[in-house]
Amino acid sequence: MFFHMILERNMHLHPRHFGRDLRDKLITKLMKDVEGTCNGRHGFIVAITGIESVDKGLVLDGSGYATFPVKYQCVVFRPFKGEIVEAVVSMVNKMGFFAEAGPVQIFISNHLIPDDMELQLGDMPNYSTSDGSVKIQKDCEVRLKIIGTRVDATEIFCIGTIKDDFLGVISDSGQTS
Amino acid sequence: MSETGGQGFGNSKGGKSAHKSSGKDNGSAKSKGGRKVQFESGGSGGKAGKEDKIANGSRSPQAKVPSPLERRLEQENSEFLMDCEAAEILQGIQEQMVMLSEDPNIKLPVSFDSGLSYAKRDSYCSKSQTVRKILQPLQKYGVSNAEICQIANLRAESVEEVFALIPSLKAKEKKIKEPLRIALGELTNLRDALDELARFKESGAAV
Repeated sequence: MFFHMILERNMHLHPRHFGRDLRDKLITKLMKDVEGTCNGRHGFIVAITGIESVDKGLVLDGSGYATFPVKYQCVVFRPFKGEIVEAVVSMVNKMGFFAEAGPVQIFISNHLIPDDMELQLGDMPNYSTSDGSVKIQKDCEVRLKIIGTRVDATEIFCIGTIKDDFLGVISDSGQTS
Repeated sequence: MSETGGQGFGNSKGGKSAHKSSGKDNGSAKSKGGRKVQFESGGSGGKAGKEDKIANGSRSPQAKVPSPLERRLEQENSEFLMDCEAAEILQGIQEQMVMLSEDPNIKLPVSFDSGLSYAKRDSYCSKSQTVRKILQPLQKYGVSNAEICQIANLRAESVEEVFALIPSLKAKEKKIKEPLRIALGELTNLRDALDELARFKESGAAV
């Protein structure tokens, strides 16, 4: 799910940037350092939408760098346990399949795929029902529930299930099967 | 460029306090038998249930207890966004980036593109205010902003689907069933209208 939040960060700026364009340099550095990063607490910081405040800088002893506390508004994406997401299948194998919802990767184990679906190997491996009416293969959309999340230094990895009601492949009409 | 973060914080804080004050269980409740019963504010659902059994007389309406997730996010000054709202914000940023693309220092990260394409998968990604207006009436029945965002993101077609996928709404099923059915119907009409418009534009472009 997306959130709009205010975060704070201490920005270190080299003395060569001190001058008329100090604020612009600070904001550019903030965008470079923060956008696209991921942490366990806030999730993926997708984009900075505004600067709330830039407080007075403090010159650090010994190095000459200055530290500026910066408050900024940003859009973050963070998955939660129990959340229902619509993801695109990226890979299918005998252990299950991987899907992507935005920047988050989700793994659905074969234990959490309905029992009436079996793996069909071939050029395009897929999980399908015996009559072939429902097929999970690369690039198809599935609705799944996130049942667990694991946070690394730079990414969030999730485990999902499609074994509950109203979960599974999203057909063209928008209904799940 | 900034979203109405302040307004959102106000709403979330206001919503929390409104829920507290709407329930009369913050102060002490005098039972008909003359026994004073003190209700704890912000207690868990289990605790509130136990206190209801203790109190004699009529049960006072329970305040909506925010989930641990909502409590933490409210503390962190965050606002839940529907996917269509996020799509509008990110789309605006992308359009600005086209103008700023001459500066090599400014680049959009990979997660931006994947986040934007995920948010834009909705057919009503350009009508976030309309979607918000359709779902806003549910708030007076105790549906939180987080639940409203989940309902909007689901693109569900039936009330049963919503209750199955958002278990926290089950507790309010009787109250919100009819308003939710009406809201889902309006969302479906909006989606169909926008799909029709998109098809018309495509056929117009083809000609």
